[in-house]
Amino acid sequence: MRVSQRTLSIRGLVQWRRFALLSILLAGLAMMPWLVSSPNVIRLLFLTFLWVTTSVAWNILGGFAGQISFGFAVFYGIGAYTTALAMNAGLNPFLAFLISSVTAAAASLIVGLPTFRLRGPYFAIATIGISEAVRVVMTNLSFTGGASGYRIVEHRPFLQLEHYYTALVLASIAVASSILISRTKFGLGLNAIRQDEDAAAGLGVNPYAYKLEAHALAAALTGMVGGVFARYAAFIHPQGVFGFQTSVHILLMPVIGGIATVWGPVLGGVVFGIVEEQIIASFPEIHLLIYGALLILIILVEPGGILGAFRRLYRRLHARRRDKTSNPGGGEADEIFWRPRRG
Amino acid sequence: MTLIEIVNLLVSALLLAGIYAVMSVGMTVIYGVMKIVNLAHAGFMMMGAYLALELFERLHIDPILAALIVFPVMFAIGRAIHWLLVRWLPTSDQPTLASLLLMFGLWLVLQNLGYLIWGNSDRSIFTPHTLSILRFGGITISSVRLVVFGAAVACMVALQLILNHTWFGRSVRALIQNRYAGQIVGVDDKKTASITFGLGIGFAGLAGALLASLYSFNPDFGRPFLIRAFVIIVLGGLESVSGVAIGAFVLAFVETFGILFVPAGYQLAISYGLLVMVLIFLPGGMASLTAKVRRLA
Amino acid sequence: MQPTRRVGRGMVFAVCAALTISFFTACSRTKNASNDSIPIGVVLPITGREAKPGQYQREGIELAIKQINQSGGILVKDLDKKLPIREVFYDDSSDQAKSASFAERAMSSDKVVAVVGAYSTALGEAESVMPDRYQVPWITTGAAASTIFNHGYQFAFGTLSPTNLLGSTTAEYLGSLVDQGKLSKGLKLALALENTDHGVDYGNGIKEWIRQHPGYFVVVFSENFDLGSPDFSGLLQKVKSANADIFLADAHLQDFITMHRQYLQNGMHHQMISYGARGPESDARKALGDGVDHIFAGIWWSRSLPYPQVKKFNEDYKAFTGHEPDSWYPATAYDAMRALATAIQNAGTLNKTAIRDALRQVQLNDSLLPGQVLKFQPNGQINTPFVIVQNKPGGKVDIVFPKDAATGESIAPTPKH
Repeated sequence: MRVSQRTLSIRGLVQWRRFALLSILLAGLAMMPWLVSSPNVIRLLFLTFLWVTTSVAWNILGGFAGQISFGFAVFYGIGAYTTALAMNAGLNPFLAFLISSVTAAAASLIVGLPTFRLRGPYFAIATIGISEAVRVVMTNLSFTGGASGYRIVEHRPFLQLEHYYTALVLASIAVASSILISRTKFGLGLNAIRQDEDAAAGLGVNPYAYKLEAHALAAALTGMVGGVFARYAAFIHPQGVFGFQTSVHILLMPVIGGIATVWGPVLGGVVFGIVEEQIIASFPEIHLLIYGALLILIILVEPGGILGAFRRLYRRLHARRRDKTSNPGGGEADEIFWRPRRG
Repeated sequence: MTLIEIVNLLVSALLLAGIYAVMSVGMTVIYGVMKIVNLAHAGFMMMGAYLALELFERLHIDPILAALIVFPVMFAIGRAIHWLLVRWLPTSDQPTLASLLLMFGLWLVLQNLGYLIWGNSDRSIFTPHTLSILRFGGITISSVRLVVFGAAVACMVALQLILNHTWFGRSVRALIQNRYAGQIVGVDDKKTASITFGLGIGFAGLAGALLASLYSFNPDFGRPFLIRAFVIIVLGGLESVSGVAIGAFVLAFVETFGILFVPAGYQLAISYGLLVMVLIFLPGGMASLTAKVRRLA
Repeated sequence: MQPTRRVGRGMVFAVCAALTISFFTACSRTKNASNDSIPIGVVLPITGREAKPGQYQREGIELAIKQINQSGGILVKDLDKKLPIREVFYDDSSDQAKSASFAERAMSSDKVVAVVGAYSTALGEAESVMPDRYQVPWITTGAAASTIFNHGYQFAFGTLSPTNLLGSTTAEYLGSLVDQGKLSKGLKLALALENTDHGVDYGNGIKEWIRQHPGYFVVVFSENFDLGSPDFSGLLQKVKSANADIFLADAHLQDFITMHRQYLQNGMHHQMISYGARGPESDARKALGDGVDHIFAGIWWSRSLPYPQVKKFNEDYKAFTGHEPDSWYPATAYDAMRALATAIQNAGTLNKTAIRDALRQVQLNDSLLPGQVLKFQPNGQINTPFVIVQNKPGGKVDIVFPKDAATGESIAPTPKH
């Protein structure tokens, strides 16, 4: 994180290049509907954008701050139901999405205030309990239709592209905020918490407040994704949006892609979007086997996930040409997974 | 509410507590010695249930007896998994997220192996005894439940005896109390960890086999039980067999009597909510509560 | 640290791009469209909790397709030739989100002229938003809740009579037992309903009948339960405390088996007991043995119905699948496919709106379903009567209501074990 005079100019150059690359990618995705006309492809891309957003959002708390949560379905579901209720009340969908993100952020405070007193695995277990309790309550809540689910009635023709661009913009916002966080003092504070919460507190970072903020930001993004999904599906139900499965998916993507990095979760989301659709269509039941095995491999072999594996591969190829020592990859991931937590 | 009904409820809470205790004890042992939160516990319970089903369907072995066969099988599987995966985790005197996620990955794998091998429709074991009931005056007890309760209590007692009276048990208790001191006085912590892990998985399988004669199950079997097991071991102070028994009683009574005050659909929310409350307010378990009360008095 | 990170990102872009490209090649392939067949989407759960009924319904649909194709296919006047049906099948693995997305995929990318399927109310609800979105006719063969059909959807049809009719038929049957003197008047009912629209409709049907026929029954207990729960002890504890005479639940197959097992283990007994539309399934007898004796069920179809076409269907089905029709599942699916084929022939075109219009007019006069006439109501649903069946000792299942279709007498009240 130290920036010397010399690297500053190089970084500027590289940043410019990266910016250009990003713009091309974004433009390419924006043009996509004109290149492929298949509604199915557009639908898959739309879902992939949503997965990428949740993955990036989870990573803000789970990766940057190192607080692994099994409970993001709570925010996804709250977002979905808020949008559904708001739209059926006649609100503009985009206003509904905003309300969703605010509600989800508020819920994140309710969840976070007590549970952030817990550390590491205890926090993780508490989030399982909360997420399952919320699901049970939602399946029994009658004004949202209980387990039957809830229907959004929208009295205008369905425009797939509108949904597509909403998701694209949302994913861009998520990635942009992730980049921003990784470069600001806030991000450094989260890093410090991940590395050692007590030491961070000693350095003047308030871990409790930082975790709550990261949680709220992540929840706001996840809630908005829930809303966008709900509008597309037009029918939501607690077993789906509040399901344990949803929490698991949201957690697996960034871990598989590369936890605590900016691009790992994006990669994880893309891989997940494709695997989920293509593999499930043919082998509906073994997809979790693949994820489970990947998770075990990642923990034991390559904590940096797919991104970490690429880095390692690159270094190996690179080291042969230029004999230069470099830091081992996946350092952030090691900090999250291996550091013992004091309860 | 009549007296008979209350007695009925008390009896069913007691029987439930026995089942809950045997279901949680495997998790406690592993946590105590290795500080690993075994998220795959539900997966091993599911395997135990299906093993009992296979033994019953292929060899016509009564599911209660089958549980006794399942135990050593699962013990061996547990040691194999320890050798294959778990021993690579660094030892630590605090739980790590690596161990949590490793066990979670293992759970997903087990669950899907279950789908591949047994399909995902609900299965159940039906024996001539399944539906038989005993009546004592107005009190009705399912005889299978009673037998399962007996088996559960017997297993808990056996485990307690092993822990108190064998060299292995002494090593286990030493490691639970203080890992480093234990190593200094010559406890082979690697071997003890391996046997402990096997024992924990064995108990998970045993519990699964016992539960199989009470409930229907599918490869997703056990998530609600996993959460209950968490509640129980946290209530019991995380690392003692007697703590587990106390935790199981508390949860079983809260669930059985709680249902009188909330709609049936919310029954599961009781244990989920309790988990969060206990983690936050009673991280040291019931023991810390009594200590707190004593301090106040 | 910085140099490796930078390169890492570059590589990620490359990988993302590569994946994206492969992703398009993989999924722009749709199931090949051609002009020499009529593509019809079938979305049903073949795996997951609803696998068994889903499989039975698929067999019903495929039997109908086979018979239609063997007779040369459907005559399409516009094209002036007979075309066979091509089934585009998706297994939604009993997952609502997947169910909706497969229906969408069939409608948007596979260019099917209609989608048939959607077993279980939950999966049907998820799919039901798609037909109007893509203007493709959709016939659910296994979802009956009123919430699907009271939204004014123009392309949604269903071959199951509404669930509240199930509720009121159940109550009417019990009422007839009171009239016969088998049950006494003023008995107490305990209702346990699955917490879905299906359960709500069922409960409403019963309560409505009781309101219209005062004096017959009183509801002393009514609570909802979670679908797919492994344990109903809490609910049953409360049912037991309610001290009712008759226990009426509305459950899916798996929940029915789990719940009834615990019911018996609790030593419970009621004068009459029903699990809504579940009861005569062979799986239940396999899981509970004689424990399922005397349970009665209101179902959409029974293989014991005394119609010649039912007899022929039973034989064809046995020859096609190797087993007897289990409960009502294959019949509604079989008739849905036949109704659709008739509608396509009547429309004389593969235009989806024309097929929709034809479906509204279609009338199947040799239907398997009770009453023998299948016709869609203005809301898209059919309205054939239910039959009540009761499990008899020894594994026999008799139709006991209505009287004109009955194959045996009701055993009421059920004897104590």
